[in-house]
Amino acid sequence: MLQWLYKLGSPRHFYEMTTGFLPWLAGTTFLLLGIGLVWGLGFAPPDYQMGDNFRIIYIHVPTATGAIWIYAMMATMAAMHLVWNLKVADMVAKSCGIVGTSFCAIALFTGAFWGKPTWGTYWIWDAKLTSFLILLFVYVGVMALRSAFDSETSASKAASVLTLVGVVNLPIIYYAAVWWNTLHQGPSVLGDRDASANPPEIWIPAFFSGFGLIGLLFLIVILHTRNEILYRERRAQWVQELLDGERAHA
Amino acid sequence: MPEFQFEGMADFLAMGGHAYFVWMSYGFFFVVLAFNLWLPHHQRSRLLRLLRAHQSRQAARESPPSARPAALQTNTPPGA
Repeated sequence: MLQWLYKLGSPRHFYEMTTGFLPWLAGTTFLLLGIGLVWGLGFAPPDYQMGDNFRIIYIHVPTATGAIWIYAMMATMAAMHLVWNLKVADMVAKSCGIVGTSFCAIALFTGAFWGKPTWGTYWIWDAKLTSFLILLFVYVGVMALRSAFDSETSASKAASVLTLVGVVNLPIIYYAAVWWNTLHQGPSVLGDRDASANPPEIWIPAFFSGFGLIGLLFLIVILHTRNEILYRERRAQWVQELLDGERAHA
Repeated sequence: MPEFQFEGMADFLAMGGHAYFVWMSYGFFFVVLAFNLWLPHHQRSRLLRLLRAHQSRQAARESPPSARPAALQTNTPPGA
């Protein structure tokens, strides 16, 4: 396991290992997402209070959770880059930017379109929503800061530091609905005995769409990282050979 | 086995009167994710094109003049 992790730290091994792994990841991802969304949209019973509007849950909750977790991953990678000067970690951190911003935007957008019919407003400056909006700005800020440097080394260092500073926002988002009295509800209870909890018919499709979206996150991050590896290692022998090989195929 | 909750396609699309909100949400979701999947593929093909072009230039520079393609052998500047 350690050996395997160690190998992933080398750009070349990361590239070669993900080549075989990608089709499997993509297949599983689209299968899970397909099942989760079809089930959630068509087959899960409507909520007794919100009717069919609650079906937004199958994309809102996983994208919001995903946006938080991918930030945590980006911060872990940033720390690894700063402490051990691990090149692949920085490439992964860079690759998290666009997909993290996208997940954030989807969560905010779907939240607004869920809030309108349920709360009567698209937006309210409540702690949960505001702290989540800040997460979106932090993602954009990290990407902007990285692109503001000419030197790749300085860009990586500055982006890593800002990423770590932004971590302070994560517990605020997570506990906002607990610490403060917000319009946004706290985490829901799942179970099959408690009458107030969500029944399995509601949350099982959410597991499918949730794991599907986790797969999609990794898929997109790996695709970006592979590009970054090819670019940064463009002078290496193995990349030159790879280019020759692909030319021979074409 | 879960049952289909709607009576036909029109009922499904109406989403119990919440069509606008549900389909706007899912629409945005699909558009943004499709862009996220398209982007790395697009960047990859552009990157490979650039790297290959660079590689060809490098090869042309290192090979003896006789091996160069005819277009590279002329000494006349372009437009002359």
